[in-house]
Amino acid sequence: MSIRLLVLIPVAAAISLALSAVVDAVALPLFLDTTGTILATALAGPAVGIATGIVTSAVNTLRNPTFWPFVVVQIIVALYAWAAARAGLFRSLRTAIPAGLGLGVIASVTSTPISYFVFGCTTTGGIALTTALGKALGLPPLGACFFGSFVSDFGDKAVTFALVTSVLHALPRRAAARFPWALRAIGAA
Amino acid sequence: MTRLALERVSFWYPATDGPTLRDVSLEVAAGEVVALVGSGGAGASTLLLVAGDLAPRVVGGKLEGRVHFEGRGKGKERRGIVLPTPWTQVSGMAFTVWDEVAFGPANLGWPRDEIARHVDRALERLGSAELRARDPATLSGGELQRVIIAGILAMDPALLLLDEPAAELDPAGARDVWRLVRALANEGRAVLVATSDLDALPELADRVVWLERGRVMDAGPPSLLASEALCAAQLGTRVAGVWRAAGLSTPYPATVADAVRRWKEVMGR
Amino acid sequence: MTRRHPFTLLTIAGALPALAWTLPAPVGGAVTAATALTLAASRGLHRGLWPAVLTAAPFWLFLFILHDVPTTVAIGLRITTMVASFVWVAAALEPARLVEAMVAAGWSASVAYVFAATLSAVPLLKARARRIVDAQRCRGLAASGGVTARLRALRALALPLILSALHEVDERSLALETRGLVPGVRRTPLAPPHDSAAERVLRWGLVALCVAALTWRVA
Repeated sequence: MSIRLLVLIPVAAAISLALSAVVDAVALPLFLDTTGTILATALAGPAVGIATGIVTSAVNTLRNPTFWPFVVVQIIVALYAWAAARAGLFRSLRTAIPAGLGLGVIASVTSTPISYFVFGCTTTGGIALTTALGKALGLPPLGACFFGSFVSDFGDKAVTFALVTSVLHALPRRAAARFPWALRAIGAA
Repeated sequence: MTRLALERVSFWYPATDGPTLRDVSLEVAAGEVVALVGSGGAGASTLLLVAGDLAPRVVGGKLEGRVHFEGRGKGKERRGIVLPTPWTQVSGMAFTVWDEVAFGPANLGWPRDEIARHVDRALERLGSAELRARDPATLSGGELQRVIIAGILAMDPALLLLDEPAAELDPAGARDVWRLVRALANEGRAVLVATSDLDALPELADRVVWLERGRVMDAGPPSLLASEALCAAQLGTRVAGVWRAAGLSTPYPATVADAVRRWKEVMGR
Repeated sequence: MTRRHPFTLLTIAGALPALAWTLPAPVGGAVTAATALTLAASRGLHRGLWPAVLTAAPFWLFLFILHDVPTTVAIGLRITTMVASFVWVAAALEPARLVEAMVAAGWSASVAYVFAATLSAVPLLKARARRIVDAQRCRGLAASGGVTARLRALRALALPLILSALHEVDERSLALETRGLVPGVRRTPLAPPHDSAAERVLRWGLVALCVAALTWRVA
């Protein structure tokens, strides 16, 4: 791995973790904690993306100890983003947002069993409350848990994909060319 | 014997059409300070990256011409470069200033006592010994700049490449750093420095190279900074600029001492 | 305890939750939770015990809403174990010592770099994010209005933050390269933490205990 790609990993992981400050400022129910993972994958391929996801989870765990089991979700996100980049889905917002919605489904399918078996569906207050709502609507336990994860993941991943697409297009061509995958991800090479 | 030679070097960054350096030839030998001057975008920073074997090896792009370097000692790691913004050069791996300065030597795999000797000496030469236990994240811009220079110096490079090393320093701090740079050259190191602190150069540099849009326009002794061409390009020393603005006769003096001498000549006549 | 080898601290923090999930509930969870809370308390009330209790409390509440009492107790004790042992290790482990331990153990300096650099980059980038938020607020950005307006505000804040961070990748990689951090380099450990035979036995013992517990429960 070149030194440039090595440096990209902590920078991308720090982006995922620092965006919480931005989310707080606009008061939207988002996490954006996979932004760095998706961005690193689109710029530099799946190995860098997966490494970014693992580091993000590890450092996030220091802040909130219950994050560690969700490292699996970060890895799935990196693999999905890699497929999306290869399919050219970062070319425009019209392709990126549906791709993000697709990731929302996959991410909640992955996080539901973790959330259910490890935490009894109480991962975050928001997820716990939507799960309670699902339960009140008569869903079975696992279904209610999926409902909870889905509601929180769906919009988050679509916004994340849109944000990464904006970044890839705003990156000056000369800077983008120095990352192995950046130009191919936006369909410019 | 340390010697850096660039022969007709042109360099293109990736995904750009025109070259950033065009047909540049340049030589720096042990004991010498060579200064690069030019307006923004002249190519001085790129030239330092080429001289430091970072372009194209790390940044990518294409190079034509030849870069030749021979250094005493252990070889290629003995070229040290100080980049313009100090906070992007912090290793991120050290939690005290001492460890930050030791970062480079430790990566070279030196034994611990040798590392300690070089780190202590480098901190002392930069006047930063009292910062040794501080967290690098808490330093001011000027303090950090000196720590970064110490970190390169601790690696004992034969060739020092400095890109605006005084940018974050106050005038007194800048004077200290320039005095140190001169002393390092006098010890037998070769120094190539890009700076816009033109008034420091007559005391500091053995030669001045004027770059414009990637090309060497002129090269010569520091008195070049008092030439009509450099003054017209806003690259003369302040004294030369004042002399020229006053409409006094050429050759312009480069320093206050030169100006006093010229003035006495004029008065004595 | 902070003077123990960093790997020992990490092994304990990893083994306690692993045992909490494998040993039969509620006794197993009660033992591990008590151990983890004791460790957390050893770091002091404000750095250890309170953060652990405050982080674990909402889980108990939501578990109680969603599940019956035996399930609440079983899962609650496990989550408490995990929270308390991680809070303890985060307070007891100095990042600098962990980096030194990794280097001394022969890990590539790149792995140590990635973790340490993320740790030191997050607070800096968060501070920059807050500066961008303040600057945009001065220029009239409001965190109100409909979802579309807020999303537009989000983009206006996030884009400069991310682009400036990416912009620094170049200079950071040049600086590291010139200071000898090339992938695969064998670094001299500056202050390798002391390790003892007893600690090594403890670490392997804990790993063996986890494996044994898992085998017992699966079989």
